[in-house]
Amino acid sequence: MIPKIHFDQEWVDQFENSLENNKGWGNWTKYKMALTAGKQSLVSDFQGLVAPKYLPTLNIYPHQYETAEAVIEKMNGKAILADEVGLGKTIEAGLVLKEYMIRGLVKKVLILVPASLVTQWCRELNEKFYIPAIEQRKNPAWEQIDVTVTSIDTAKREPHASVIKEIDYDFIIIDEAHKLKNKHTKNYQFARSLKKKFCLLLTATPVQNRLSEVFHLISLLKPGHLGDETSFEQKYKEGNDHDQLNQLIQKVMIRNRRSDSGMDWPKRIVQTVPISFSEGEKNLYDLVSEMKHRWSNSVEAQGLAFTTLTLQREACSSREAVFMTLKNLMEQYGENPNVMEELNKIAEQINEVTTNSKAERALSIIQESDEKVIIFTEYRATQLYLQWYLAQNGIRSVPFRGGFKRGKKDWMKQLFRDHAQVLIATEAGGEGINLQFCSKMINYDLPWNPMRIEQRIGRIHRLGQEHDVKIYNFAVKGTVEDHILQLLYKKIGLFEGIIGELDDILEKFSENQFEDHVSKIILDSESEGEIRVKLDNLTSILAR
Amino acid sequence: MQQQEIHQYIKNFFIENESTITEESDGHLFIQLSVEMDKALMNRPFYWHYVEKMGGVPNPMQLNLITDSSKVPEDMKGEKIHFGSPRLHQIFQTAKQLGSHSLLYESVNTNGSTVPLKPWIVLNGAVSYCCDHKKDYFFSIGLSLITGEVIHDFHELIKAKNLQEQIPNYCFTMTPIIRPISGIERIKRLLIEDLEQQDHQWAENARNRQKQDEQLLEAFYEGQEEKGDSYYDEKKAIKSQYEPSINISIINGGLFYFFNHPHHHQGHSFH
Repeated sequence: MIPKIHFDQEWVDQFENSLENNKGWGNWTKYKMALTAGKQSLVSDFQGLVAPKYLPTLNIYPHQYETAEAVIEKMNGKAILADEVGLGKTIEAGLVLKEYMIRGLVKKVLILVPASLVTQWCRELNEKFYIPAIEQRKNPAWEQIDVTVTSIDTAKREPHASVIKEIDYDFIIIDEAHKLKNKHTKNYQFARSLKKKFCLLLTATPVQNRLSEVFHLISLLKPGHLGDETSFEQKYKEGNDHDQLNQLIQKVMIRNRRSDSGMDWPKRIVQTVPISFSEGEKNLYDLVSEMKHRWSNSVEAQGLAFTTLTLQREACSSREAVFMTLKNLMEQYGENPNVMEELNKIAEQINEVTTNSKAERALSIIQESDEKVIIFTEYRATQLYLQWYLAQNGIRSVPFRGGFKRGKKDWMKQLFRDHAQVLIATEAGGEGINLQFCSKMINYDLPWNPMRIEQRIGRIHRLGQEHDVKIYNFAVKGTVEDHILQLLYKKIGLFEGIIGELDDILEKFSENQFEDHVSKIILDSESEGEIRVKLDNLTSILAR
Repeated sequence: MQQQEIHQYIKNFFIENESTITEESDGHLFIQLSVEMDKALMNRPFYWHYVEKMGGVPNPMQLNLITDSSKVPEDMKGEKIHFGSPRLHQIFQTAKQLGSHSLLYESVNTNGSTVPLKPWIVLNGAVSYCCDHKKDYFFSIGLSLITGEVIHDFHELIKAKNLQEQIPNYCFTMTPIIRPISGIERIKRLLIEDLEQQDHQWAENARNRQKQDEQLLEAFYEGQEEKGDSYYDEKKAIKSQYEPSINISIINGGLFYFFNHPHHHQGHSFH
C-alpha cells in the first residue's frame, strides 16, 4: 500500500503569485544560496544520528551516543533512561530530542522535572543543544510555546492541567520518574493522562522493591508492554519467569553503569578523619548518652530514650544543634520537673562547651589550599554556626538548603563558583545541584543511609569533573559516629566503590527501612559489644 | 558543511544582502548589517517600528561572527558560528526565503543578432519518508515548457551558467506552449508516479510496529468494558507516531530562459 502523499502546494501558490505580479523574484546568487541552505537540513538515512553534527561543541561520550541511537532505532522513541548518577542522562535525553527535532518529527515538547531542576534543564537545552526551551512559571502559555520545561507540581494544578491534557505532545520527558511508581497518586494519574508520541522517563533508581512499581512505570511509557495488571501480578508474583520479565524490561530500559561506560573517571580519594572531643564536648556527649538508660523504662517520658540517639548525633555535630533539640524538649516536657531538671543540666553543659573540634579540623583542611570545598552537615544549626565560624577566620562561605527557591539556589551556586571558597549544604541540599568545578568534600556528619552519601558525592564526582575527588569523612572517636563509620561504611567499601554495586546493595532495602534498622540496633543494644556484633551482621548481609 | 565553507557562505550571504564586511580574518567576520538584514536577523521589531514612525535615522547593528575561534585572539568578543548554531540556522532560513523563486535569463552575447530564449520550469526539493523515523532525498527536475522534455539533476547542469534578471540585449523569449503552472503539475505527477512504482518496505515495517503497539494496548485494556479516554488517546498517539506518509516539499524553483539546451556545455557563447 502506498502511503499518503502530500505535495507542497503552498510554494506553488507563492510562485503563481510572483508570476502574476512579476515580483518577489530572487536573483541567481540568492537562488543558489537558498538551494545550498535548503539542502543542509536534509537527512538521507533513517538510521544513525545526525544531531552530533549539529552539536560540534558538545562532548558526547560513546555510551551517550549509543543510548540515543538505541532509543530511536530499537525502542521507537519510548524508553526509560536509567543510567547511574553522573553519567549524563540529561545529555542522552537532549540528544534524542535534538535528533527528532532536526528530522522534523517533533515540535511540541513537554519536559517535567523537579522544581529545583527546571532552570538547569532549560539552560542545558538552550546552551548545549540550542533547543529553545522555555521555563514556565507564573503565567504559562502552554499552547503557544513549543518546548516547555516545568515542574510536575505546577503542571498538574488547575488551571494548567486541563489545558495541558488537551495538547497533543510529540515528545514528553519526565525526570526523576521513579517518583511516579504509585498509580494512586495525583502525579501518576496526571502523567498517565498526557497525550504523547515519544516519551522518555529518566531515573537513577529504576528497580524498586515491588514488582507492581515496575509495572506502573512501564505502563506510563507503553501500556500493555507487561500485559494488564491482574495477569502481570499473577504471572510474576511468585518469582517465576523473572528472566522473561527482565528481557521485557530491557526492551524499554537502558541502564549504563560507570564500570562499563569505558571512561576514565577521576579517582575518589577517601580519607577518614578521626576527631577527638575536647573535654567540654565529651562531657556533653556523655551527659546526653545517659538519658537513654535513665528513661527507657519510664512511662511518662519514654520518647526521651529515642531522642537520645538524636542528641548524641547532634552532640557530634555542634552544641548549637543540641541546643535546638533541647529547646523543643523543654517546651514538650515543661510540666515534668524530673525531666526538666535533667534538661537544664544538659543546657548548663552546653554552656561549658567553648570549642568545636570538628570545625577546627575543617578549618585546617580548608586552609591547606585555595581549592573550593563543600561541607555537608545534617543540621541547620551547625550550618549557621559553621558559616559564622568560617567568617571569623576570614573565609567566605555560602549556605545551601533544599528549601531554597530555584532562583536562590542558582544564585548560591554562582556565588560559590565565583566568590566564595566554601559551600555549606544541609542534607536536603544534596539533590539537584551540579558542582563539578569543586573537587573537595567534607562529610561533617555522616548520614546513616549510604545512598545519601552517594548522592552527596555525586554532586562533584560526575562527568565534567577534571580532578581527582577528595572526600574527608569526619567521625568523632568513641561515639555513635564511630560505629557507623567503622562498621557500615568501611566494611562495604562504600566510598571507594562504584555506585552500581551500591544500587545492588540498596535494592535489598528501601530507603527508610535501612536507617530505622540502624537506629534500632543502636538503641536496643545494651553494650558497645552488642552494637558491634549486630552491625557486623548487617554489613555482612550488605556486602554479599 | 565545514567551517571554511560556512565562513565563505556567510560572507557571500551578507555581501549579497547589501551588508558590509568591515573586518575579516580566517576566523572571523565583522559585519555592518544593512537595514534589511537587521530586520531579518536581529529581532527588534519595536525599534524599527519606532524609527519608521518617528522618521528617525536608522542605525542597523553590527555583528561579529567567529567562524574559527582557533584563528582569532582568545579575548575576541563575538558569536561563535558552527553548523547547528542558531545564528547559522537563522541565516539559512533567511537565505531560503530570499531565494525561494526566480525568473532568470541566460546571459548571452549575440553579437547583434536577434535570438530566442527557451523557457524551462525548475523545481528543487525533497521527498521525505515519514513514520516514527524519517529520511529525505533530494530532487532537482527541469521541464522544457516547449517540448515537455524532463531532465533530472537539473541544477548540476546549470549551476555554472551565468543567469541574469533582465533579458539580454537582442534576445526575445519564446512563449511557453505548456503554462508554467501546468509544468509544475507535470513534475508533481512525475514524482508521484515514481513513488508509486517504488517498493515501500519501510512503510510496511512502520505499520508492523504500529500493529505491535496496538496489540499491546489491547492487551492492557483486555476485559475492560468501558475503556475510557486514555485508551482512545493512546490509540490515536500510536497512529500518529507510526503512520507512514510521504511529503514532497519544494526548496526553491524558477522559470528560466535558456539560449542553449541545458545539456549544452557551459562557456559557449553565440557564434
